[in-house]
Amino acid sequence: MSESAVLPDARSPGWRFTPQDALTRPRFAPAAPPAALTPLAGRVLCPVGFHRVALVNGRWESAHALLDLPAGIRVESWRGEGGARGGAPAAAAGLGDQAFACARDGVVVTVAAKVRADRPIHIVHVADAADRAQISHARVMIRLERGARAEVIEEFVSFGEAPSWKNVFARADLDEDAELVHYRVLHDAAQGRTTYALDAELGARARCESFLFQLGGAFAREDLHARLSGEGAQLGLGGLSLLRAGEVADAHAVVEHSAVGGRTRHLHKAVLDESSRFVFEGLIHVHPGAQKTDAQVYNRNLILSETARVHSDPEFRIFADDVSCRHGGAIGRLSAESLFYLRSRGVDEAEARRMLVYAFGAEMIERVGQESLREALSAALRERMPEGREARA
Amino acid sequence: MLNIENLHAKVGDKPILKGLSLKVKAGEVHAIMGPNGSGKSTLSYILSGRPGYEIVEGRVDYMGKDLLAMAPEIRAREGVFLAFQYPVEIPGVSNKYFLKAAYNARAKHRGEPELDAGPFLKLIKEKARAVEMDPAFLSRSVNEGFSGGEKKRNEILQLAVLEPRLAILDETDSGLDIDALKIVASGVNRMRSPERAFIVVTHYQRLLDYIVPDFVHVLSGGRIVKSGGKELALELEKKGYGWIDAGQPA
Repeated sequence: MSESAVLPDARSPGWRFTPQDALTRPRFAPAAPPAALTPLAGRVLCPVGFHRVALVNGRWESAHALLDLPAGIRVESWRGEGGARGGAPAAAAGLGDQAFACARDGVVVTVAAKVRADRPIHIVHVADAADRAQISHARVMIRLERGARAEVIEEFVSFGEAPSWKNVFARADLDEDAELVHYRVLHDAAQGRTTYALDAELGARARCESFLFQLGGAFAREDLHARLSGEGAQLGLGGLSLLRAGEVADAHAVVEHSAVGGRTRHLHKAVLDESSRFVFEGLIHVHPGAQKTDAQVYNRNLILSETARVHSDPEFRIFADDVSCRHGGAIGRLSAESLFYLRSRGVDEAEARRMLVYAFGAEMIERVGQESLREALSAALRERMPEGREARA
Repeated sequence: MLNIENLHAKVGDKPILKGLSLKVKAGEVHAIMGPNGSGKSTLSYILSGRPGYEIVEGRVDYMGKDLLAMAPEIRAREGVFLAFQYPVEIPGVSNKYFLKAAYNARAKHRGEPELDAGPFLKLIKEKARAVEMDPAFLSRSVNEGFSGGEKKRNEILQLAVLEPRLAILDETDSGLDIDALKIVASGVNRMRSPERAFIVVTHYQRLLDYIVPDFVHVLSGGRIVKSGGKELALELEKKGYGWIDAGQPA
């Protein structure tokens, strides 16, 4: 089986507005384990106090694992040839299917019924590419049994000089009354690419708070597919993408409400500088019978340059009649009025711009309950400011 | 302190100021009155450096320097302050963070020590008390969700914290009820000093009952057409702006 990836047709739905160049060039060969292990200290945002596992070039790396798990929580390798989903991927299959099929390893997190995880579980996806362009596939399973609670942070990083591509499939199963807080933090180096597909299923009264932070890398894409199949399930989706240079980020989410009384709140923000590109597609599909669904999807974008581009498409498909659904999209620039107001008090223009951009992004970061992660993200946001870059130069 | 000479300015193709001259000395309070569209707000904005105005002719000397050549933030650090008619809401930037950035930018510019969060908070809490502002407002986003009166009080708080040499109050009375007006006026009066000058721009005489000016100027058609003492404001109130305009060439 080939471990390279076959890209979906550039004209297919979900890909029409996404430049694929970063994934087609150079040619990505299957990743081998790195010659030497790069230490994670100082290269990941989360502190060492969390339960930690790492997949390096798609393989479970015991040397990076920090696990001291209480009863009822299991974090294990998901080793073995893929293909369980039905053989070699066809070209029409999504990247997530290919990740599932091609992965040789992964992580399985299981939290037993009514167990509340004592600390966050931190999964680090590392690409370490020394001298040639490489792709690695991996799969993740998060399974919360009835009434279980856990926080899972997936962090994506890339090391080495050569281009690298991490292609990951993840599945989250929340049984009745389970509660998951799930973060994906992508902060690849300039040569790094990450494509991530997440299938989530929420049982009755399950609650999932799900955050996506795209903070760097040549190409970052998430395809999220969530099903609220039990009554009264609640899903919160928050996202922030900070893009510059020629970076491309995509956030695609399809949320299906198929039971009564489900609730979804989706807000994704993006800040675009230079010639970056962002695509947002957020669809909420309310099936027949999913009465009393209460759902919102919003996308707000701040453009800082003349050459950045955004495609924004928040959308509903509603086949039930007793629902409350709202959506909206906005694309704007920094307010000249606000800039002048700050400057008229003595704040210089660069600092005024920085304050306004920070304020725009901080709304998403303030929602992060995990304090050390919130602080790390806040520092990363400051670091990503155009002026922050100048100050370091 | 301030010497405006024969100032002509336009927005796009539209001339707004047509030969305005005004001298303000330290310690003085000048009121500028005039009908809508006479150029009052334009004058305030030009002095504080808002982009969008073209200076066609004339000059503005401030403390021996060319004011119009300075960026807005430099003017502020040199002691020019504009209290906005419509203060801007800035979601996500807290009032105290904003005030601290402004305060320290000015301190740095003058070679004075910058303040850390602790001592600064103490300072602004004192100043907030003086304008009868609930300290809770210091932690809220700048002007976001503030009532009209709260916004104007926030402007006066900034005035008190930044201690400018030249304060321009642009229609500070608009949208204020009488109680809020008194609080704002007493905040301003407390700031009056022999080193500080005020330009109070207003449409109505009412504010001048509380902030009593040394001089009153009437702005009409982009120029100052009449100047006098505080009694001029009362005369205007009685006779209306038509009294001034009637004597002017069209």
